Amino acid sequence: MSKQNHVATRIDKAEVVIVGNGIAGLTAAVETRRLEPEKSIVIMTSQSHPTINTPALKQFAISKLTRDQLLAYPAGTERLQRIHVVNTHVEEIHAQEKYLSLSGGRGFGYETLLLATGSSPTGLPKEMPGQDFDGVLTLHRLQDYLDLRRRLNEVEEAVVIGGGAHAVETVMGLLYWGIQVHWLIRSESFLPRTLDRPASDMVLESARRAGAKIYTETEVLGIIGRVGVVAGVVTTQQQMLPCQLVLVCTGTAATTTLAQHCDVPMKHQQGILVDDQLRTSVRDIYAAGDVAALRDPLTGKYATRAQWYAAVLQGRAAAAAIAGSEQIESFGVPWHATRLGEISMLTVGNPLAWPESVVPLTEKRKGSYCRLSLVDDRLVGYLSLGSSQPDSLSIKRIIDEGLSVRDITKELLRGEFDARKFFSGKRSFAVQRMISTGQLPTPLPPMPGIMSGERRSTPRSPEHMLPPVAQRQAERLPAPRQAERPMTPRTEPLVRPFDGNSPIPASSEDPITGRNNRRRIAAQQTLIEETMGSLLPPGDRKADELIVRMPERQFIAPPVPRNKEPGESDTSGNLHPSRSLWHYTDQHPAVKGKGKGNVQK
Amino acid sequence: MFKNNTHQQSVRLHKTGPQIAQELHACIGCNECLLACPALGESLTIDVLNRETLGGAISRPVAQFARACYQCGACVSPCPVGLHRDAMMMWLKVRLLRTGWEE
Repeated sequence: MSKQNHVATRIDKAEVVIVGNGIAGLTAAVETRRLEPEKSIVIMTSQSHPTINTPALKQFAISKLTRDQLLAYPAGTERLQRIHVVNTHVEEIHAQEKYLSLSGGRGFGYETLLLATGSSPTGLPKEMPGQDFDGVLTLHRLQDYLDLRRRLNEVEEAVVIGGGAHAVETVMGLLYWGIQVHWLIRSESFLPRTLDRPASDMVLESARRAGAKIYTETEVLGIIGRVGVVAGVVTTQQQMLPCQLVLVCTGTAATTTLAQHCDVPMKHQQGILVDDQLRTSVRDIYAAGDVAALRDPLTGKYATRAQWYAAVLQGRAAAAAIAGSEQIESFGVPWHATRLGEISMLTVGNPLAWPESVVPLTEKRKGSYCRLSLVDDRLVGYLSLGSSQPDSLSIKRIIDEGLSVRDITKELLRGEFDARKFFSGKRSFAVQRMISTGQLPTPLPPMPGIMSGERRSTPRSPEHMLPPVAQRQAERLPAPRQAERPMTPRTEPLVRPFDGNSPIPASSEDPITGRNNRRRIAAQQTLIEETMGSLLPPGDRKADELIVRMPERQFIAPPVPRNKEPGESDTSGNLHPSRSLWHYTDQHPAVKGKGKGNVQK
Repeated sequence: MFKNNTHQQSVRLHKTGPQIAQELHACIGCNECLLACPALGESLTIDVLNRETLGGAISRPVAQFARACYQCGACVSPCPVGLHRDAMMMWLKVRLLRTGWEE
């Protein structure tokens, strides 16, 4: 195609173009609007409905919810936020000239592109006999669940295929409707890569008690039909299971079609590889949600995280990266919490990883099971099954921050862990120590090679080395203004050497953003200096060894006031003094020193 | 470790703003908490409740619900993700007071 042709076919353009209106896409759009009130934002989607709470579809399947209650954002949010939603199919990315070609031969220009194309179900193999009969459903989208609900009245027996959380949720939903369920699992246990044997047995046992017939180490050979409609399933165990419905829950795979249809090679394996700012290997293209493969901070491997909370976080982080914000939340370790029938399941980190160096502690009681994976006194994986969910996000925080669990191991194992108490105590002790000694607590040293061969190469960011309170204090500092950064013309290469989250290079310029890291960090330090009244001792300014020293008094200072944008979230860290931690210290002698035990271990 | 902590009780209901925001982001919108709620009068959708807990203007139904909530905690155990709707409602109540919402 010649240059003229491009210009002729290019009809529209927008500053931020987002492909996909799943939760990652819409969250990114809404968040970008908050950070960049004037930018033009367009969402391209081939989905016919607004963004919905996809995990709630299983409640929708059992009629606990109506369709209106599925909406993820209040109706009309897109219009209100001036986000244009274009219903179209994106076919190709032309990264060199920065435009997309849409179905129907149209072109659409972008300045920044976010790929949030999500995932699609793996389904049954194409060559399986009978997989196109009416009544064979792959449950993934709203349409699939609408289809399922229409059929439920005619179904007496159903076959569910798959060995994951989605399959057991589906099984439980069908049992709720009084349908006889045959559940086929390929492996010999449930979720073998995440759950150990006792945990898997517990889940299977609860499904069995609820009335499901479970066939482990069984696969489908073919589907039998009668005049185009499902009549039964033949399994590898030479069994024929009669049914009127076959539900395929064999997992999902990231939709990387666009990464394949990009004129500049974009790195992708099981998903599009991104760094911790969600940048892909191609300039000005980001990826978020189910399609993005992030590096696990503990294992160092790239993997997609097809979970709701991960998608929300990534949507927000992508918006922050697009807007050039310096404050990007880190994602931490994988986290999955769900309800499998009567059992609540929580997995944080990698409960089954590194069997050779991890000490697992397990506790099995009636109706509950818990497994902690410990390296020294630090948690690297947590798995719990039980009638109720522990404070799941707090456990993620313990792993993310690498806190010592020496004192709470028993509580964690029994599921009696009180996170509010733990963190408030932790924080007060840290603060108390900082106030009395003027020193920051020393962060725990990096974990020595817990996995064979690979080591955590990323140093934790300076903010992370601070205790939570100081972290928040640091977050309240105004970020360097974006306008001060040279924006155009960009001279960096189109394809950046994708090195994931390698440590900040010692040399000056970041090849992609054109941001000078050293300058950035120096600027940050200057800001801290200014805000803190130039009390910083003249220290080493090397980027990798930045230690923010804060004088004791400034910790009690009220948060830096700033003008609030209309509609801006007021939970963003700018706390009202009356409910900040400092209020306690003013009112109560909460951080009363105790001779021993108040030192952070 | 935290025995004799003088403000132990006040800590119980307290979650910080960032924690509330984090929990709201993790909410999958399954509606289980609202189904379990004994104080919910007129029907309310979870998307509206979440957005208004997080920030912005508080509409009349949400304000009424926030007043009606008496922190019984019935919403906590049904949550499949292990979130604390009671703490979120507490936060909403504080926001309500702060914005001076009047009936």
